[in-house]
Amino acid sequence: MLLLSSVLMLSCEVEDGSNLNGPTTDTISEDLSRAELVQAMSGVLADMRTRLGTQVDVQAVAGREYWRFQSSDPRWTADLLTGTLDDNTFYTTVPYASRYGTVKDINLLLEGLTNSSADFTDTERAATRGFANTLKAHELLMVLNLQFQNGIRLDVSDPNNLGPFVGYDEALTAIFDMLTTAATDLSNGGADFPFTIPEGFDGFNTPTAFLEFNNALAARVEAYRGNYTSVLTLLGNSFMDMAGDLNAGAYFTFSLTGADVANPLFFALNSTGANARIAHPSFITDAEAGDTRVGKAVMRTASLTQSNLTGDHDVFIYDSNVAPVAVMRNEELILLAAEANHIADPVAAVAAIDVVRIAAGLPGYTGGTTPAELVTEILNQRRYSLFAEGGHRWIDLRRFNRLGDLPLDRSGDATFEQFPTPANENR
Amino acid sequence: MKKQTHFSRMRVLLLLLFFPVVLLAQETITGRVVIQGSGEPAPFVNIVEEGTNNGTATDIDGNFSITVNSLPTTLVVSALGFTEKSVPVQTAGDISIEIAESSEALEEVVVTGLATSVKRSNAANAVASVSSEELVGLTPPQTLDGALAGKFAGAQITRSSGAPGGGISVRLRGVTSVNGNAQPLYIVDGVYVNNNSIAAAGLNAVSGAASGGNASNQDNPSNRIADINPDDIESVEILKGASAAAIYGARAAAGVVIITTKKGKRGQTKISFNQDFGFNTLLNSLGQRNFTEARAEALGAGNGALFAAARDNGTLIDWEDEIYGEQGFISNTSVNISGGSDNTLFYAAFSNNEEDGIVDNTGYDRKSIRFNLDHEFMDKRAKLSISSNYIDSVSDRGFFNNDNTGTTIGVALSSTPPWAQLFPDANGNYPDNPFGSSNPLQTRDLITNREDVNRFIVGASLDYKVFENDKSNLKLILRGGVDYYELITTAIFPEILQFQKPSNGGLNGVTALGTTENKDANYSAFLVHNYTTDKDLNFRTQAGVTKLTFSRNTVRNITSDLVASQTNVDQGANVSVTQFRQEQEDQGFFVQEELNYQDKIIGTLGIRGDKSSNNGDANELFYYPKASAAVNFHNFDFWNVPYVSRFKIRAAYGEAGNFAPNGALFTAYTNSLIDGNVGIVVPVTLGDPDISPERQKELEVGFDASFLENRIGLEFSYYNKSVDDLILQANAEPSSGFTTRFENAGNLENRGVEIALNATIFQEDNFDWSSNLIFFKNTSEVTRLDVEPFSLGGFGEGLGTFRIEEGRSVTQIVGNDANGNLVVLGDAEPDFQMTWSNNLRYKDFTLSFLWHWKQGGDNVNLTSLLTDFGGTSPDFDDFDFDPAVANGDFRVAAFFAGNATPFVEDASYLRLREVGLYYNIPSSVLDKAFAGHVSNVKVGFSGNNLINIFDYNSYDPEVSNFGSNGLSSGVEVTPFPSSKRYLFHLAVGF
Repeated sequence: MLLLSSVLMLSCEVEDGSNLNGPTTDTISEDLSRAELVQAMSGVLADMRTRLGTQVDVQAVAGREYWRFQSSDPRWTADLLTGTLDDNTFYTTVPYASRYGTVKDINLLLEGLTNSSADFTDTERAATRGFANTLKAHELLMVLNLQFQNGIRLDVSDPNNLGPFVGYDEALTAIFDMLTTAATDLSNGGADFPFTIPEGFDGFNTPTAFLEFNNALAARVEAYRGNYTSVLTLLGNSFMDMAGDLNAGAYFTFSLTGADVANPLFFALNSTGANARIAHPSFITDAEAGDTRVGKAVMRTASLTQSNLTGDHDVFIYDSNVAPVAVMRNEELILLAAEANHIADPVAAVAAIDVVRIAAGLPGYTGGTTPAELVTEILNQRRYSLFAEGGHRWIDLRRFNRLGDLPLDRSGDATFEQFPTPANENR
Repeated sequence: MKKQTHFSRMRVLLLLLFFPVVLLAQETITGRVVIQGSGEPAPFVNIVEEGTNNGTATDIDGNFSITVNSLPTTLVVSALGFTEKSVPVQTAGDISIEIAESSEALEEVVVTGLATSVKRSNAANAVASVSSEELVGLTPPQTLDGALAGKFAGAQITRSSGAPGGGISVRLRGVTSVNGNAQPLYIVDGVYVNNNSIAAAGLNAVSGAASGGNASNQDNPSNRIADINPDDIESVEILKGASAAAIYGARAAAGVVIITTKKGKRGQTKISFNQDFGFNTLLNSLGQRNFTEARAEALGAGNGALFAAARDNGTLIDWEDEIYGEQGFISNTSVNISGGSDNTLFYAAFSNNEEDGIVDNTGYDRKSIRFNLDHEFMDKRAKLSISSNYIDSVSDRGFFNNDNTGTTIGVALSSTPPWAQLFPDANGNYPDNPFGSSNPLQTRDLITNREDVNRFIVGASLDYKVFENDKSNLKLILRGGVDYYELITTAIFPEILQFQKPSNGGLNGVTALGTTENKDANYSAFLVHNYTTDKDLNFRTQAGVTKLTFSRNTVRNITSDLVASQTNVDQGANVSVTQFRQEQEDQGFFVQEELNYQDKIIGTLGIRGDKSSNNGDANELFYYPKASAAVNFHNFDFWNVPYVSRFKIRAAYGEAGNFAPNGALFTAYTNSLIDGNVGIVVPVTLGDPDISPERQKELEVGFDASFLENRIGLEFSYYNKSVDDLILQANAEPSSGFTTRFENAGNLENRGVEIALNATIFQEDNFDWSSNLIFFKNTSEVTRLDVEPFSLGGFGEGLGTFRIEEGRSVTQIVGNDANGNLVVLGDAEPDFQMTWSNNLRYKDFTLSFLWHWKQGGDNVNLTSLLTDFGGTSPDFDDFDFDPAVANGDFRVAAFFAGNATPFVEDASYLRLREVGLYYNIPSSVLDKAFAGHVSNVKVGFSGNNLINIFDYNSYDPEVSNFGSNGLSSGVEVTPFPSSKRYLFHLAVGF
C-alpha cells in the first residue's frame, strides 16, 4: 500500500506556487525592460512621498514651528517636546525606514539597468543613472537630517550584508559626491529621459533641466557643509532666479485617485484634537509687523489645548488635500545665496534677503551686517519663508549651534539634536 | 437526549443479522419492543430464537412477528446500544419486551486516523470531545467556537469583539506559531472548512488604524467558522497537538477540530421545533467619571460652566449607557426533521438565528439549511453519505477598536463628557462633536459595516467493503468535499458624518465594497484492512492519498468624495481598487498501522507525507511521523485493585506542520500612483524563497483511571510540544529598505498538564448529579532565536508589547518601567485555568451550569489611557497607583514618561459562563393534552456570562484589538464591549 501511495504521489506533480498579486523584486533587478523602467521610476517618485508628513511633522515639532496634536498618539506632545526619544517608535523608525525604502527602489532599478538586456542607449542609461542617483542623494540627505552625528549607512544594496555606518561629515561628503557623479551623468544624458516625469517636476523634465535641480540640491548640501563658494557656483547652475517666482521649483503632487495618496500635511481649519497642527504661538508673536508670511498660520475660531499646550492658530500652508508639497523652491535658493554670501559679500547677502523681505511685504533689511547679525536675520527669514515646509528650522538652528534659541513651553521640555539610530539597526 | 444516543450507536455498528427463517410453521410470537424508561418503540431490534439461526427484526414501530419451532422457547433480543436480553416465552401470541440501554455499548469513539476511529478506552491520546449536549445544551451559543470555551482542557479561547457573530481565537495548548497560522484546522463531516478572518471592508481607509507603526489588521472581522450552526452538530473532537493530529500532516500544527453533524435515526420520522427568545446587555458597565466644575474646567476653558449648566438642567448624558446600553434582541428558531428506514437515513434542518448587539445597528443574522443523507446499498456493503449545508449570514459589526483619526465609536466616546450635546435636531441633523472628531451617535446611526456571506459546504463519502471473511476485511473509502463562499463586505461612511465633511478635512463620504470568493476543495481515497489472528491480535492497516486545493480572490473597491447620498462605488470622484489572490495545492499520502491485543495493549505507527505549492520547492515531500501506545491494565487478568475499575497508561508522539504565511516566499512590489503614472514600490517585508514549513513535535503521556464502577473518572496528561523552524517575521535593519523579513529563525516549546475529574455524584430515580472538573496549565519558552529579540503585537515598549526573546516565555509582555528600563511586565499565558460543569436532574427538571476560572494572564489595556486623555475615565480621580496622584494623571504621566507599567493588567476572571434550567413536561401530561401527537415538550431559561468576577479595569478581560491570529490577543483599545445573554426556550418534538 505504501508502494501504491508513493506511486500515486509521484505521478502527480504540484506546480510551484507563484505570487499572484504583483511583480517580485528580482524581476526588476535581474533584467529591467523599457516598460519596467517607466514603472520603477514612477514608483520611486511616488515612494518619496511615503510618510513625508511624519518626517516633516517630527522635524517641525522638534524645531517648535508647530505642535502636532493627535489625541490617539500623545507621543507627539511628549517625547518630541521633552527630548526623551525612543529608538523604536514611529517618529524614529517611520521616516528612516520610508526613505531607505525609496533608496531600495532606486538600488533595484539601478541594478536592473546594469543587468538590462533591453536596447537602452548609453545616453539613456546615463540619463537614468543621473536622475535616479540625484533622488537617492535626496533621500539619504533626508535620513541624515534626522540622524545627524549618529551617521547613516550608505551602502545598503545587500540586505544580508549592509555597509557600515559613517559619520555625519563623511555621509554629507558622500551625498555631495553622489550628486556630482549624477550631474556628470545628466550632462551626458541626451535630450530626453526614457521615462515619464510627473507634473511636479515639470520644469525639470529633460536631463539638462533636471541638472538645475541636481545643482540646487547640491547647493543645499554644500551649505550644510559650510562650503559657501561651492554653494554659489552650484546656485548659479541651478534654477535660482532672484527676480522670479519664489514658489518656482520641484514639487510632490498628490491626488485621491486609486493608489495615489493625499497630501499628508493638510488638515482642515479648526480641526479637533484628534489631529491638528497648531502653530507655535511664538511664530505669531515673534513676527515683524506686516509680514504676510504670518498668514501661513490661520486664527482658529477657538483655541485648542492638548497636554497643557494651548494654541490659537492652525498651520495652513496647503489649502487642500491634493495641494502639492515643495521638494525645493526658489525662495530657499535665494536664502541659500544670502547665507553663502553673508561673510564674503554682505551686500549681496542683504540683496538676497531683501528679495524675500519685500515679497513678504516687509521693508528692506536695515540691520547690522556683521556675520553674526546676518546669520540671525537669515535664520529669521528662513523661519518665516520655509515655515512648516520641511523641518528647516530645527536643522538650521542645529547648524549654527542655536537650538538653545528655541522656546520651551513646559517644565521638563527640552530640545534635542538628533534622533537615535533605530533599535532594529542592531548597531 | 440519551434516548437519541443509543439510536445512533445502533446505526454505527450495524449488526443487524437477517437469517432465512426455516418455516417449520408451528408457533408465532408477535409483540412490540419498547425502550425501558421512555416506553418509546425500538425499531430494527434483532430477535433471534436462542440456539437457532431463526431470527427477525422489529419494524419501524417496534413490532415484530416470529415463528418458532416449539414452545416454550427463549428469544434473544439485541440491538446496538442496548443490553442483550433473553426473554422466555411460554405461549404464542402478543408479548411486550422492554430493553435497556447498555452503558458499555455507549462507549465513545475517537478519531485516530483519517478513515478510522477507536474506542476512547483504547485511545493513546487525551482527545477532547464535546457532545451536542455540552455544546448547546446549557444555553444556545452564538457561534461554534465560542461554545467550546471552558468545555475541554488545554484551550485558550478569546473573543476579539463583543459584536455578535464571531471573531474568536482558539489557541490549543499554547502558542504554536508566532507569525504563521495559529488557529486550528476545522473539518466538518470530512470537509476542510475555511476559517479565515478576511478584513475586506476597508475600514482602515477611514480609521487609519494601521497607518501608524502597526500594520496588522484592526478591523475585527468575524472568522468564518461562525457560519456553522452549532445546533446541527452531533459532536466535536479536538486534537490539540501533533501527537494526535500528525495524520493531518502539514496543516495540523495548531490542532484539528473535527466536527460531526447530526444524522437521521432509524425509525419514525421525527420533527423537532425549537424557539429561543432573549436579550443581551452590557456585561460590565464602567460608569462615569464623577465630574465637578473644577474637573470639567480642566478639560478646557468654559467646560466647568457647561457642566454646571447641564447638571442644573438635568441634561447630563451617560454616554456609555446611551451607546452600549441597548438590550439586543435574540431569536433562534430551528426546525429539524429526521428519520430513516433500514438502509437510508436523513436529517434535514433549517435554522434562523438573529441577535442584535448592545449597540444600535449592530447584529448578526444567520440562516442555515442542512440536509444529510446516508444510504446503504449492495447488501449494505456500500454506504454513501452526503452532508450539505447552505448558510447565509449577515453581520453588522459597527465601527470600533483602534484608530488614528478619532473616528471609531469607542475612541470618540473616550473624549466625550456628559455635558456634550450630540443628539440630532428634529430634522435629523447631528451636531458636530466639539470634544472629538466624530459624533459617536451619528457614526452609530449612519454608518454601515456589514459582512454578508453566502456559503455552500458539501461533502460526500463512499465506503465500500471490498471483501470480508472471519479473519479480515478490506474497506475502500472515497471522500470529497467543497467549501465555497462569497463574502461581501460593505462599508459606507456617508458624507454628512462629522469626519467626512470636507470642512472638517473629511473625504466627503467613503463607500467600500469588498468581494471575496473562496473555494477550498479536498479529495481523498483510503484503504483500510483489518486482520485478526487466532489469538485475538488485531491489525488494522490503512493507507491513503489526499489532495487539497485552496483558492481565494478578494477585490475591494473604495470610493471617496461621493455623489450626494449615493453609495454605489461608481458614485464618487475617487475610486481605488485592490485585489488579492491566493492559490494553493497540497498533496499528501499517509500510512498507518494499528495493533490491538485483546483491548489490553494498543499501539499505532503512522507516517504522513505532504507537499505543497506553498513551499519553496513544491514537490519536496515533508514527512510527519507518529507513534503511540496505550495499555489497559484493567483488562489483564492480574488486575484486581479494589475500587479501581479502569486504569490505562498511554503515550503518544507525533509531528505536524504549519505552512509559511502568505507572502513569506516572495518579495512582491506593491502599486503606486503619482500624477496618473502607475509605479511599483518595494514592500515593507522581505520574503525568503527558501523558507520551510514550521514543524511541531509533541509528546503526550498520561493515564486514565476510573473508580467505583466508573462513577469517578480521572484523566491526567502531560505534554511537551516544541515547534522547530519557527517562521518569524523578524525585524530587518530598516536601512535595507525593509522593516521586516521572513525567516526560519527559532524554536519554541510548550509544556503543560491537563487534569480532568468527572464524577456521578448521585444517581437515583428522581435525582442525578454529575460533575466535571477540569484543570489545565501551559508554560512556553522560546528555546532558540537566531535573530535579535523583537517586539510585536502591541504599540511599542512605552505601552506594553509582546517580545520574542530566547529563554523567555513566548507570550511575555514587556515594557519600559518608571526608570526607562525594558522589563517583563506580564505574560498573556494564564497561570492556570479551571472549569467546573455540573448537571443536576430532579424529576423532570434539569439544571446545568459551567464555571470558568482563568487565573493570571495579562492584557495590555489602553482603553483607560485613551479615556484619561479625554478626561472621562470613571476611575480618573481614584488613587490606586499612588496615594498622591489620581489614576488619570498617573497614567497620563506614565505615558509621557514612556512607562508602560500601568497599562499591563492582570486579566484573571471567574465567570459563570453558561447556566440553563429546563423542565421536561412529563409524557403522561403530553399524552393527555395532545393525544400522542406531541412526544416531548421542554421549556427553560438560560444565560451566558451572568456572573463575572474580575479586577480588570475595563469591560471584559477577554478581548483582542488585533483579531484572532498569532500572539496578538489580549491587547485592548476601545473594543466593542462584551455582553451577557438571557434566554427563554421552548422545544417541541413530534
